[in-house]
Amino acid sequence: MKDMNKLKKDYEEIEIPNELENVVKESIRQAKAPQKKRSFLKQWSIGAAAAAALFVGSINVSSTFAQAMVNVPVLGSIVEVFTVQNLTLDEDTYQADLSAPAINGLENEGLQTSLNKKYIEENKELYKQFEKEVEEMKKAGNGHMGISTGYEVKTDTDQLLSIARYVENTIGSSSTTMKYDTIDKQKNIVITLPSLFKDNAYIDVISSYIASEMKRQMAEDEEITYFLAEESESGFESIQPDQNFYITADHKLVISFDDYEVAPGFMGVVTFEIPSSILGNLLVSDTYIN
Amino acid sequence: MTKKEKFELVENFIVENREAHYRLAYSYVRNKENALDIVQESIFKALKSIDRLEEITYLKTWFYRILVNTSIDFIRKHQRMTVMDDDILSMHLPQAEDEIIDMDLHDAIDQLAPYDKTLIILRFFEDLKIDEIATVMNDNINTIKSRLYRILNKLRIKVGEDFKV
Repeated sequence: MKDMNKLKKDYEEIEIPNELENVVKESIRQAKAPQKKRSFLKQWSIGAAAAAALFVGSINVSSTFAQAMVNVPVLGSIVEVFTVQNLTLDEDTYQADLSAPAINGLENEGLQTSLNKKYIEENKELYKQFEKEVEEMKKAGNGHMGISTGYEVKTDTDQLLSIARYVENTIGSSSTTMKYDTIDKQKNIVITLPSLFKDNAYIDVISSYIASEMKRQMAEDEEITYFLAEESESGFESIQPDQNFYITADHKLVISFDDYEVAPGFMGVVTFEIPSSILGNLLVSDTYIN
Repeated sequence: MTKKEKFELVENFIVENREAHYRLAYSYVRNKENALDIVQESIFKALKSIDRLEEITYLKTWFYRILVNTSIDFIRKHQRMTVMDDDILSMHLPQAEDEIIDMDLHDAIDQLAPYDKTLIILRFFEDLKIDEIATVMNDNINTIKSRLYRILNKLRIKVGEDFKV
């Protein structure tokens, strides 16, 4: 016969690792951080959405304006993306490697400047924050911590440019957040998700497609896990109106989720390509997605 | 209560009870890295879905539920990956010092299915009440009670005076 008191004692003697406190505090910080950023991003994209709406509106209302746009030379081939800023820190257990992209050659220089400025500012902010955390961690007795940022050009055609920027935080385990900008090079506008569609119906259509796709993938491969609303407290129910997305070179819409957003950490950043056929009637036009 | 106050309450709860949460996660995976991962992921899920915690009085059971679900999810996903047992590993490693391996804990608790393991830990080690466990596991009180009796019986564990199912 075993004794419950003895078992309880064993349980209580499970050793608590030193990292625990930092892992807990860092998790809390990370859970807080993206929300703040999201509201910033939201504000910003509302502006862009308004600009896009105005633009689409102008084409429809004024034939002169539409005519004028036809005559604008195609700038696609001379727009380029390159790395402008590199911030690094390399001390025993603390590593930072941050690089920011810059866009060159857009006809709308105001747009180009504001994007480039945004990229650099965000990077600087991340670096400052990282330095602060390193200080804190040094005070609390050392640990390992790393951050790296960078970008990837997802799509670059005559018409479209999609840039994905990632932030990877490493502390214990790592987590990645992504941000995308998709730019119409010919019309010189930033495309937002809501601006692609006639009304909000896209949210439900895309969400239910993703939910069914999650189930299909999970049934097919047991290594794949997503958080589904019916199974777990914080499962996937719906995309955000301004969910991360980009558009592929063959005109498909891709929806992207950060680490932990809809799946356990080991799944990383997950993306879903949405079949254009289910979006057909909802789109403002088939210029970008078809 | 404002949203900010609620967030702070949850945050404090998570920080204050981190050791209990870690031990629970550790009991499922028996390895430090995975246990830390589970704790981290649970905190993330909890704070991201804080709006679903309607009454702050349910904070404890609500968080345990997320923690238990995350742990069980984790084992389900990693079933194919077997973590080498400490005692097997120690045969292959240079002997550092004599370690008394506790066969009681290994045998009795570790062999249980995750669901049963959860009941034992929550009831006897974390001292939750039966109705709290029922909330965590989303089952009714009688099911939990009879299940607990059956496990104890099966394991032939002697429950001392201090413990009651």
